[in-house]
Amino acid sequence: MKSTSYNLIMSALYKGMKGERPPVGNPTSIVCHGLMDLCGISFPEAHLEPQAMAELALAGHEILGFDTVMPEYSVDQEAAALGCKVDWGDRDRMPDSRHFPYEDFSHVKIPDDFLEKPSIRVVLDALSILRRHVGGKAAIIGKVMGPWTLSYHMAGTQNFLLQIGIEEKEKVHRMIRQLMPATVASARAQFQAGADIVVLADHATGNLVSPRHYEEFLLPIHQELTDTIEGPLILHVCGNCTDRLEMFADAGFDGYHFEWQVDAKTAVEKIGHRMCLVGNVNNPEVLYQGTPEDVYKQVRYAIESGVDIIGPECAIPLSTPIENLKAIVSAAHEGY
Amino acid sequence: MSELLNTIKEAVVNRKRKEIEGLVSEAIEARIDPATIINKGLIEAMDVVGKQFSTGDIFVPEMLASALTMKMGLDKVKPLLKSADQPSRGTVLMGTVKGDMHDIGKNIVNMMLEGAGFTVVDLGVDLTLEKLMAEIENLKPDLLGLSALLTTTMPEMERAIRVIGEKGLRKDIKIMVGGAPISKAFAEKIGADGHGADAAEAVDLAKRLIGE
Repeated sequence: MKSTSYNLIMSALYKGMKGERPPVGNPTSIVCHGLMDLCGISFPEAHLEPQAMAELALAGHEILGFDTVMPEYSVDQEAAALGCKVDWGDRDRMPDSRHFPYEDFSHVKIPDDFLEKPSIRVVLDALSILRRHVGGKAAIIGKVMGPWTLSYHMAGTQNFLLQIGIEEKEKVHRMIRQLMPATVASARAQFQAGADIVVLADHATGNLVSPRHYEEFLLPIHQELTDTIEGPLILHVCGNCTDRLEMFADAGFDGYHFEWQVDAKTAVEKIGHRMCLVGNVNNPEVLYQGTPEDVYKQVRYAIESGVDIIGPECAIPLSTPIENLKAIVSAAHEGY
Repeated sequence: MSELLNTIKEAVVNRKRKEIEGLVSEAIEARIDPATIINKGLIEAMDVVGKQFSTGDIFVPEMLASALTMKMGLDKVKPLLKSADQPSRGTVLMGTVKGDMHDIGKNIVNMMLEGAGFTVVDLGVDLTLEKLMAEIENLKPDLLGLSALLTTTMPEMERAIRVIGEKGLRKDIKIMVGGAPISKAFAEKIGADGHGADAAEAVDLAKRLIGE
């Protein structure tokens, strides 16, 4: 097998043949000020214009040397299409929305023209542009929000979690189920537009909700999603999820993108034989505040533990020093 | 009396929000001192809840439900407190730093601090330095609590502490920081007086810092 970026990622995704070195991938954003300055593209235009979105993603591969390109930097694309008023931020701030259209848990209507909404179209068009540039050379990663995350956006995170705490189970089940079609439509469209892999981000974060909550409310939904969506899916759930890793494998995902709080060796022991593991360089202490040597140590530890695709644990802080990102790539280029 | 207080405590721990107001009313009618209802019923309950959260027996949804139950009970009994019975432990300003919209953790800390007898002024999220400085000068709080969830917004904590120092206000206020990416090391580096890893720790920290 030639050790091209595309081959290394796709082979690792299916626990296949190893190449000359481990692949370096980003299921989540690796945009920082340094990268913006190097390619001359900033926020918010990279959230709103397909060409800008695609070029900034390309920079991750062509300038930094990541084996993937991933153009969706925010978590708000579907939320905007579902009616949230999103503030698309600026160079220093990721997008956010303080508007929760379904705080009262009323019936969620997914618009018939959901895929034509600007915030969805921009990602689909960017994926097509990326396909033309690096199709078959670098792995193209799309991203969708799962119905749990979309529930946060529709009802407000605290409000949604409170409903779980006061055992309004029917309300919670219903909202998650009503939002599933948005996740499915978004994922399918991204594969059709040119994504090789889609990350499904669903923030049932380890430190927020218990494995019991995941099992009751979300595991059956994830099983349905992985049954329904035809292409390869990497699950992203933040936080310390050591206590529910096996459930993520049971959910049927091809890969799990995990954070530093989950020890790499433990992750590999528990589910390394069932899923591709992606991660897990620490953001706040290492990528943001640390040195390239700190990054090197974490990357080598992840490789030695058996992590399949190496990358940051989550979307990186915008002021991450670019040398630290490059350090991930150079550490992986030392080989196994 | 202690049986009724125990029932109130259990209602908060077990998230019985439909029963709490009735139970607190019962305790008031039984002429239990309002301050005792708060301390022995509600605050002790939140100590238990805080410990359960720290040990991973419960998670944020349960925490929110217990805090809501506690607040419902507190709102029922607080109007009966004479200020002499329960002098405020101190004024705490709370806020999520500029550029950051996350507030669940802060909101839980607010509720627990209030339950513990502090006067809490919540400045909300995306807190600009201008607003923060104006409120500090206006309210002269004993303690400032700053929260951040995004690694991107951590520098705002450092900025806030620096500006408070530049304005000559640092010696009059204790500062605690918290939030998922915040560590003790970071708190020390930026000159904060302490760091709480979760809501229970934040309340203990507040008690220690204001007691100093």
